[in-house]
Amino acid sequence: MLLVEDNEHVASALRILFESVGHRFSTAASIAEAVAIGVAEPARLVLLDLTLPDGDGLAAIEPLRESGSTTFVALTGHDDAATRQRCLDAGCVEVLVKPVPVRELIARSREWLAG
Amino acid sequence: MSRVESAEAPLTLSGGASESRVAALEAQLNEAAVEIAELRARDALKTQFLANISHDLRTPLTAVITHAEILRDGILGDLSPRQLESVRGIISGGRQLLNQVGEILTYARGAANQLSLVPTRFGVHEVLRDVSALSEPLLKKKQLSLTIDASDRLPEIHADREKIQHVVGNLLGNAIEFTPAGGRVWLRATHAGDAPTSALIVEVGDSGVGISPEHHDLIFREFAQVDSSASRSHHGTGLGLTIARKLVELHGGRIWVDSTLGSGSRFFFTVPLDPPDDALSGS
Repeated sequence: MLLVEDNEHVASALRILFESVGHRFSTAASIAEAVAIGVAEPARLVLLDLTLPDGDGLAAIEPLRESGSTTFVALTGHDDAATRQRCLDAGCVEVLVKPVPVRELIARSREWLAG
Repeated sequence: MSRVESAEAPLTLSGGASESRVAALEAQLNEAAVEIAELRARDALKTQFLANISHDLRTPLTAVITHAEILRDGILGDLSPRQLESVRGIISGGRQLLNQVGEILTYARGAANQLSLVPTRFGVHEVLRDVSALSEPLLKKKQLSLTIDASDRLPEIHADREKIQHVVGNLLGNAIEFTPAGGRVWLRATHAGDAPTSALIVEVGDSGVGISPEHHDLIFREFAQVDSSASRSHHGTGLGLTIARKLVELHGGRIWVDSTLGSGSRFFFTVPLDPPDDALSGS
């Protein structure tokens, strides 16, 4: 799985969490980095932050999909309905508002990877 | 404002003197208008800043809470009972801060007219039940009794459920905070059948400390707390009722309080069965 998140402390927490349950995990801190990683190694699950230094995280979905990544989940700090709809329209299967409780993240990531 | 005070001076001058006086007054008025426009623009910028900063505060808080939950859940190894207690303290404090930041964000969006409604149909009794369930731990801690009086036969409302829940949550939170241990709080919903447009009235009442009538308007104003001294005994952003008012008014409803000092408070708000059209669009 691939996490696209520009805050290193949030990224390190999620890395610890997902590696501890046995997921192979990469992180990217920008859209450009995510796209490069996606080409080298397509991800079955991409967790996307929306506010990235080089633009709207949703812009990474199309190039990542083209290079073979499959399932996209938005992890956002915005809890409004408009943001939610924008993420779903862009192709996310789910929109979760940060901080997502870790138990929920683990349980849900199993579903996303299975589905 | 002081510069336009001279407008009240008697205009008894004649001829050219009077014309130049009028011109001077006009110039002053224009200047004042420019100044007001500038202040408004600066106020809007501040509101936007508040919205941005409160949003940005969520990111480091996410890091703190997630790391602490990883420790709490033993993902990095088991903790001793005292370590666990300490980590739980970090999580509770973090979540409390997150809620306060969320309130500021909601306030800032409301002030900038960036709130819009996402209405669905639901029964108000469901919201009252949900809010009371969320407040269960606090009620228990203060040994308060809560009663809910809302028939499931009341008409459903077409409203933004999350926002109505937010209003009831803020009012119930206050009721719990300002009611001494052993007291009573209650939630009630009734049909305001004789209102010009059909609406429900929701009441959040308590047997607590009450609010003196001279403060009844003040408490709905932004940043207002009846006791604003540094030693004030009650905490919070002071935005809870301002936000409640904003969210109620967005639905086309009204909010008010009936209370006297020492004999409890009853907060009421109305929700029209259908929201006003102009609240549905927006960013």
